[in-house]
Amino acid sequence: MFDLKKYRKKSPWILHYNAGSCNGCDIEILASLAPKYDLERFGVINTGNPKQSDIFLVTGPVTYRSRERLVELYTQMPEPKVVIAVGSCTCTGGVFRDMYNVEDGIDRYIPVDVYIAGCAVSPELIIDGVVKALEILEKKSKEMEKALKLFKEATSENGVINRRNVALKVGEVHEEN
Amino acid sequence: MTTYTLLIAAPLFFALVVMVSGVVIRNIFAIAFVIGLSFLSISNIFVFHAPTETILPHFFHNLFILLDGMVLLFFLWQGVKTKNSLVKIFALFQIVLYVVVLLLSPTLISNDVLIDEISSVMYLIINIVGGIIIVYALKYIESEEFSRAKKNGFIAMLFFFLSVMNFIVSTNNIEIFFLLFELTTLCSYILIGYRGDEMSVLNAQKALWMNQIGGVAILVALIFSILQYKTVYFDVLIANIDAFYLLPIVFLAIAAFVKGASIPFDKWLLGAMIAPTPVSAILHSATMVKIAPYLMLKLAPAMSGFVSLTITLLGTFVFFAASLLALGKDYFKEILGYSTIALLGLMMALAAIGTPEAIVACLTLIVFHAISKALLFLQAGILEKSFHLKYVNDIDGLINNSPLVVFFIIVGFASLTIPPFGAFIAKFMAIETIASEIIKNPLYVFALIFLALGSAFLTLLYFKVVTKLFVKDVETKTVDIKISKFYTIPSYLLLILLVVGIYISFELELLSSLEIIVPLFLVAIVPLLFALILFKKADRVKEYNCGEKDDIQLNMYYFHMPSVIKKDIAIIAVVGMCILILGVLL
Amino acid sequence: MIEILLILFAPIIGGFIYGFERVVRARMQNRQGPPLLQPFYDMFKLIDKQAFIVNPYHTILGIMHFITLWVVVAFIIMGQNLLYVIFLHLLSSIFLILAGFSVKSIYSHIGSNRELLAALAYEPILIMIAVGFFMVNGSFDIAVIREHDASIASLFLLFLAYLMVMPIKLKKSPFDATEAHQEIVGGVEIEFSGIFFEFLYMAKWLEYIFVYLLLMLFAGDNIFLGIGLFIGVFLLLNLIDNATARIKMKHLIKIVLSLGLTLGMCNLIGLAYV
Repeated sequence: MFDLKKYRKKSPWILHYNAGSCNGCDIEILASLAPKYDLERFGVINTGNPKQSDIFLVTGPVTYRSRERLVELYTQMPEPKVVIAVGSCTCTGGVFRDMYNVEDGIDRYIPVDVYIAGCAVSPELIIDGVVKALEILEKKSKEMEKALKLFKEATSENGVINRRNVALKVGEVHEEN
Repeated sequence: MTTYTLLIAAPLFFALVVMVSGVVIRNIFAIAFVIGLSFLSISNIFVFHAPTETILPHFFHNLFILLDGMVLLFFLWQGVKTKNSLVKIFALFQIVLYVVVLLLSPTLISNDVLIDEISSVMYLIINIVGGIIIVYALKYIESEEFSRAKKNGFIAMLFFFLSVMNFIVSTNNIEIFFLLFELTTLCSYILIGYRGDEMSVLNAQKALWMNQIGGVAILVALIFSILQYKTVYFDVLIANIDAFYLLPIVFLAIAAFVKGASIPFDKWLLGAMIAPTPVSAILHSATMVKIAPYLMLKLAPAMSGFVSLTITLLGTFVFFAASLLALGKDYFKEILGYSTIALLGLMMALAAIGTPEAIVACLTLIVFHAISKALLFLQAGILEKSFHLKYVNDIDGLINNSPLVVFFIIVGFASLTIPPFGAFIAKFMAIETIASEIIKNPLYVFALIFLALGSAFLTLLYFKVVTKLFVKDVETKTVDIKISKFYTIPSYLLLILLVVGIYISFELELLSSLEIIVPLFLVAIVPLLFALILFKKADRVKEYNCGEKDDIQLNMYYFHMPSVIKKDIAIIAVVGMCILILGVLL
Repeated sequence: MIEILLILFAPIIGGFIYGFERVVRARMQNRQGPPLLQPFYDMFKLIDKQAFIVNPYHTILGIMHFITLWVVVAFIIMGQNLLYVIFLHLLSSIFLILAGFSVKSIYSHIGSNRELLAALAYEPILIMIAVGFFMVNGSFDIAVIREHDASIASLFLLFLAYLMVMPIKLKKSPFDATEAHQEIVGGVEIEFSGIFFEFLYMAKWLEYIFVYLLLMLFAGDNIFLGIGLFIGVFLLLNLIDNATARIKMKHLIKIVLSLGLTLGMCNLIGLAYV
């Protein structure tokens, strides 16, 4: 019996979600699917349906209103799956960082495998990111990914709030408590 | 004592018995009688050798004339009592015409009773399907708020109906046929108005005057027949038919259109929905409306050229138009009603074509339509009584409450549309017949278009209902609601009949064996897959809703049917009938 | 023997056609496009993925859709009754439609609804085509039709009507409102995932086989004409797919029914007179 795992990277289907982006990155994603850059030559299809997709392509800094949808979409994706954060906002919050209505990047809520920086990112970078993601997708086993949850309170040092260790993987909870 | 006398006399006798007995005795007797009648009608098939022929003694003829007079006077009285001018006018008109008929003297004499293959098939439907509906009615009527006498009277009326129907498919005399035709009108009048409230009475009157048009048509046909052919007998009329004088045939056909509730006479059958559900069930499946295709089948050998073509086109047009009109409806019984009208149109069209294949197709459709419609109406009754549901839009997610009823409804609708069930076979044969007619006469193309569009609409219609039943959430738990055995057992019996029907169509080789077995296998594979695939291994997930978590309410799609369309359809149908009469006159 | 092989490998042949089509479409848009075997990569990936289900009925009806479609294709290859094949195909559509309606999902319902309306649009035309074949060849049997001469000349108007039906079945512009890729996220197939979506994906390939086998009936016993028709129509459909925008469901039904029925009617009346 041949190894089915190697076909994972040959047919990555993309779910693209805009978590409050300025649409700059979205346009670049569409550009990379269009004839000039032609992501489809890797077998990429932009499905728009979480239940059939492998790669979760998120843009935007995760606004307060969009975070629940983000998690909901992520949970509806079947394993194995890869998350790509496209653009600076998505990676860290970018220019919106520390604003009252923005959650400073998607890794607060879901585990991210590939970060693509840039404002806006160029299609070449997106393609590079997707290709990186494909390698991860091939390797990914189900144990590797457990959803992150906010188990701990944010710590504060010298008036600077640190939320770095707030999120923990679900399996690690018992060891911490 | 021949079979047909038993079939006619036994229900009549029981109708008298049931009036005075208590509930338990009544139920036991009723079930016993139904079983007896079913066996008689089945045995009739097996012992059937040559057509049974009988000439009734003179006494009976006088009795029938007396009865006829009484029925017509009763109609007149009802018209006067309820101040309904239409009922009055038609009753008077009929009395005058009937007197004319009695004054004329036919010379050619034949048998009063003649039982052929078609009659035998009709016996099966009337007694078995009708009997099953009566068993269902035993329980149903107990949940109505009637007095004891009225409840018993209801059952008695149904048995009386069976008796009349058994007689009407045995008779060869058009005069007796007229009497029985009027008696079925009487039965339906009483049964539709049984609840006695305002709506029921109005609809009963509507049924009365519309059906009297049929009576008038039969009387006119009788007069023409006596004047030209000197006979009141079907077989003599058909044997001596002159291709240039088809007026009696045409008027009898119009009577069939009235009984079959074809557009524009569709109002009475839809009004009949107001009655208790067993009445609708028995009107739609086993009795009443089935007179229409039966009459057409009887007349089929006499039809030719123009008449056959026009009736076929009219019938297929009704098939198309009724299924189109039904799309805009939401009331479950009304949807069923329109689909009955549509399929009756198709049956009549097939009978009018008159080739052997067409007649087989017509009979198949008659039988399977009876079973499927009975099954569906019984479910409509259960929905009303056990779930208090009437409108299709309300039966959201019924599968969570009663998978059994859902199963029956789906089987009911599936048996009308998909292989390997009989109604499908009939439709299939209908297309084949019409296709071979097109080669002879290109005008049959329109019949084909109506048929193709109509069957597509009907599919759309049926699945509009079915889709509402199915909706099942990830989270909803199944809560079974108990349904009385009296309701489920008749449904199971009808289901068995459907399966037997498949077996018979297999034996008769209506389709090749592969064509029957494969779909059967496909439909039976479903439960098999349930067992094979371990769904426990698969993870459940909520439906995709763009990540939103709001509760959504899904409604059925709705087709807006402007009233102009309805009017146009009625006008086209009336024009078609006028063309039919004028064409024969010229 | 060759029939059995054809039946067994029908989905795979369909997969090749689908893969080839994706390449052709990409080339028409001046792109490189995915590899030819892309549909099979997709297939293997889907088998490997985790499978979600919403409820068992939904999943089973989806699988039934695939199986019935396979039977339909088998019936065509075996040369059974054309009319029967068309009705059996309707049964397979009905399975899919019921599947779509059996979940409480907006997109699935809209998709099923459109699927139902599309069936309303193409079903009468398919029946007329069957009748047309009957009038030319004197039989509904596909085996008999295959033995006769090419009937495309005498059934040319019906052939044009069939050209309108094909994009509906293959979900191609301008008649792809039933699937409407991003608009309603695939419609009926939205709630399927993993190996269960695999069945729907393969059903799509079988749909290709079904549609093109019916097309080749127009060529009768002339196998070269059949292949020519296949290639020509294949290119034409993809060209139209790339060049046109999606039209609304309402317009789809109006256009296909009015135009298709008129064409069919003219053709049948003409046949009856000739």
